[in-house]
Amino acid sequence: MRFQLAALSLRRHASRTLLAVLGVAVSAAMLLDMVMLATGMRQSFASLLGRNGFTIRVSPRGTLPFDTEATIAQAGDATAAIARISGVTAVAPVLGTTIHVLGARAPVTAFALGVDPAVQGDYQLLSGRDPAANELVASDALLRATGARVGDTLDVAVGFDPQLRTYTGRRRVAISGRARFTYLSADDRAAALQLATVQAMGGADRADRASLFMVRTAPNVDPEAARVAIERALPRVTALSTAGAVAEAERRLSYFRQLAFILGAVSLIVGFLLVTTIVTVSVNERIGEIAIMRAIGVSRIHVVQQIVIEGIGLSLTGAAAGLVLGVFTAQWLNSILRGFPGLPDAIDFFLFQPNSAFRALALLVASGVAAGIYPAWRAASLPISATLREEAVG
Amino acid sequence: MTAALTARVASAQRIDSIPPWKAEVRTIAVDERLAADAGLRVGDLVVLAAEPGNASGDTVRISAILQRRADPSEVARSEYRIRTHLGQLQELIGYGDRVDRYAIQTTGGVAADSALRRINALSFGFHAYPSREIAVETSKTFLVVSRFHRAIGMITIVASATFLLCIMLLKVDERRRDVAAMRLMGISRATVVRTVMLESSFVALLGSLFGVALGFAVSAFVNAHYQAVYRTPLRFAIITAGTVTYSVLLSLVLGIGAGALAARRLSRTPPLTLFGR
Repeated sequence: MRFQLAALSLRRHASRTLLAVLGVAVSAAMLLDMVMLATGMRQSFASLLGRNGFTIRVSPRGTLPFDTEATIAQAGDATAAIARISGVTAVAPVLGTTIHVLGARAPVTAFALGVDPAVQGDYQLLSGRDPAANELVASDALLRATGARVGDTLDVAVGFDPQLRTYTGRRRVAISGRARFTYLSADDRAAALQLATVQAMGGADRADRASLFMVRTAPNVDPEAARVAIERALPRVTALSTAGAVAEAERRLSYFRQLAFILGAVSLIVGFLLVTTIVTVSVNERIGEIAIMRAIGVSRIHVVQQIVIEGIGLSLTGAAAGLVLGVFTAQWLNSILRGFPGLPDAIDFFLFQPNSAFRALALLVASGVAAGIYPAWRAASLPISATLREEAVG
Repeated sequence: MTAALTARVASAQRIDSIPPWKAEVRTIAVDERLAADAGLRVGDLVVLAAEPGNASGDTVRISAILQRRADPSEVARSEYRIRTHLGQLQELIGYGDRVDRYAIQTTGGVAADSALRRINALSFGFHAYPSREIAVETSKTFLVVSRFHRAIGMITIVASATFLLCIMLLKVDERRRDVAAMRLMGISRATVVRTVMLESSFVALLGSLFGVALGFAVSAFVNAHYQAVYRTPLRFAIITAGTVTYSVLLSLVLGIGAGALAARRLSRTPPLTLFGR
């Protein structure tokens, strides 16, 4: 009965109800998107860093991985020193450099990583095999740019001497495989070679140097404790745990988190105000009707329940429509933000997480319920005879 | 023409006096963030080194403290900046007689194009780019942010337009008894519509003015907050005359439109029905 009356009341002003549902839907969509933005970046970045089980990144002191061109000297000794630390199960040294692929056409420039294929976490092979000495695995973008295929041989150099107009560290390397690079975008031209090959091509400047060490720890070991031990053992490095890296990324992208918080709060307030206004006006219009219901014996709580059900109906319908709208707009917004140059493929700014999404929508519905309670109680508490007389006289 | 060399100086440690073997010290400029965090002042002596803990660094005197540029590309970067003489940095990092780039000033227009052509024709191991090309390349990130803001703005406009439309319809609907009385008194339908529309325009205008004031206050808060967070003079929110005109016009159009819709509906309903009889 209560549900029927509430539905009839909403249908009586169909255009108003439709507008209110639309308003709540847009607010809910915005709230959902902002929740997805606030939690998505963190989850997505943490999941990217956590791939392959590497929990600590070690870079030259005071820098973040690949933030500068600085490198760590005596990489071999550093690898051994890190491997000796209790709880460390694997150390993957990485040396980054720029390579030029020479050929009949203009040289193609690409980002190259020197890795130890046995423990690396920078790429996943799509076809072929890991690089041996004087071999490389290439990204699809590099293969497209050079027109080469797996099995071909490339003329590769690491530098250019402007005085002599010659390339340095030049050698011929075979393409042993195609790979997707975890921390690079699909459009980046990239290659991975053996660490020793890249060090040798770089000459004295790169001999026994690494840009970064990725460290894997045992599951029962606190990465933070291992991180502290690494910094103690090697004072010339900065060690960053995955949690620390996520915190740093969050600090750099705090703008998006704060924007999400502010817009999410505004959406919630707008949704609340909309339902409050609609229910209040609807109740004020039906003061006489409510007085009649009370006069024929309908209980106060029954009246309140009917009005609250109207609020819930508006909020629930709006929230359901907002869920669909929110998922679509999140995809649209995500596609815009994914246009950031050099963003790894695996990073998403908007990530749908059912728990957070439903909590946010439940909050919106709860605010809709709260919005209906006060006007309903006020209307149900009016003196019956006086209200009826006033309504009759006008 | 200026030459630039960027390098990482691993440490800058303050000392109390010039080492006896140094006849004179050169000067450097440090950014205000480093000066504030390390408690450095103009005239202080510091030792610069390319490797952390390297005792044989270069002793220099701080001659200036620089304010950071209002450059969006530097906002999220937290590293400190110092400015040294070119030769000083080349020596410090063992870079030889090399630089990263040259910035070349021309008289502009044709001179710039001709200089570009001549430099690139030399093809001596470098390539010259016009500043606008570099600006386009380096501003890609901000174009993405700008597109994102526009998209968020569109969603916000849809949300606020729906809200405004709803409120205006309800506001006019509340006047049903007044409209009925006006119609019974013999006031014409057109006058009733005009009166209601005038009222809704007034409400929309008042709301817009309040919104503009709120916008200025929020923008001031956003600027103060983010300038403090990122320690930059960059302005994050700017309200232009165009923004104000656009938002006021939008709310007026929506307000008047909603008022006209509701007024037309009310004026077509018989007065006694509006009275609930």
